[in-house]
Amino acid sequence: MTTLDTGGPPAGDLDSPDEPPARPDRVRTVVRGIGELLITAGLVVLLFVVYEVYVTDIVSAGKQREATSQLDTEWNDEAPAAPEQQRVERFDGLGEGAGFAKMHIPSFGADYSFTIIEGTTERSLEIGPGHYKGTAYPGEPGNFAVAGHRVGKGAPFNDIDLLGSCDAIVVETRFNWFVYRMLPKKDEVDGWAAGKGTDPRCQGVAPLGGPYTGLVGQQIVNPSQGTVIAPIPGQAGGAPSIGERATLMTLTTCHPRFSDRQRLIVHAVLVKQWAKDPTKPGETPPELKETS
Amino acid sequence: MYGWIWRHLPGPTAVRVLTAVVLVAGVIALLMLVVFPWVEPKLPFNQVTTQ
Repeated sequence: MTTLDTGGPPAGDLDSPDEPPARPDRVRTVVRGIGELLITAGLVVLLFVVYEVYVTDIVSAGKQREATSQLDTEWNDEAPAAPEQQRVERFDGLGEGAGFAKMHIPSFGADYSFTIIEGTTERSLEIGPGHYKGTAYPGEPGNFAVAGHRVGKGAPFNDIDLLGSCDAIVVETRFNWFVYRMLPKKDEVDGWAAGKGTDPRCQGVAPLGGPYTGLVGQQIVNPSQGTVIAPIPGQAGGAPSIGERATLMTLTTCHPRFSDRQRLIVHAVLVKQWAKDPTKPGETPPELKETS
Repeated sequence: MYGWIWRHLPGPTAVRVLTAVVLVAGVIALLMLVVFPWVEPKLPFNQVTTQ
């Protein structure tokens, strides 16, 4: 039978019971020191995981709440009976880190709602999903591109790999609701019209033609493929004139989870726009109830 | 290392325990508030944007 040496004073030295060592053995001290350092390093790494997965969530939740209440104040402080022509969206002059819209994904639950922040710096993404500067704004022709964390920092895009084609991504702005729906996935493109395309939710969703041929709802790309957020995703130069642009939305996050080797990309297309009725605040579009 | 620190803490056992707890809490706070936020963007697992 063996006993574990705990490093304490020897209970009974079998070799020389009458001669306890006068000073601690130097080798033992060094080995114990190294062991303690290694255990400490392990604990620090564990603590880092706790920080990354839980502590950043708490910090980000606070910042997200703050951004949301700021946006709500901004939206509410306007006189309720503004004339029709003044109810147009204004996105110019947005500063880095300012919230300007909310996104809802009803299939993730009725409470899935995040305020979208302008800019994609580390600091902005800590608050919530960040809009790539220079890409379109909600409802505009072009590609409204948004990045979000998948691990920690509130992890707004934790589950976007589970989004299915035709799932709604509802973007709420000051005066409108924009309903985007995810494009068909790669294995659904063939036979779309007779297959999934018959689902009533898929109204307005179909594989896009023209310059957009080959664009699918979900793809996994290398981090260097910045063209996924271009007006025609995947094509750097060939931006069509505004009139010919499809109105798309693109979500980007890291892939696989806990790694930054690749990026997970989700493309969606605008299918519907609901203007908010100023006389009925709190009214929500029917798409928000698609929670199953 | 820990034994050495323990032997150099002053006072009776109760005070030593208290000091040790405060030391550990301080180290954790330093890690959480300063070291981790600094080191985190340098690590290759939370980049979500394309270039």
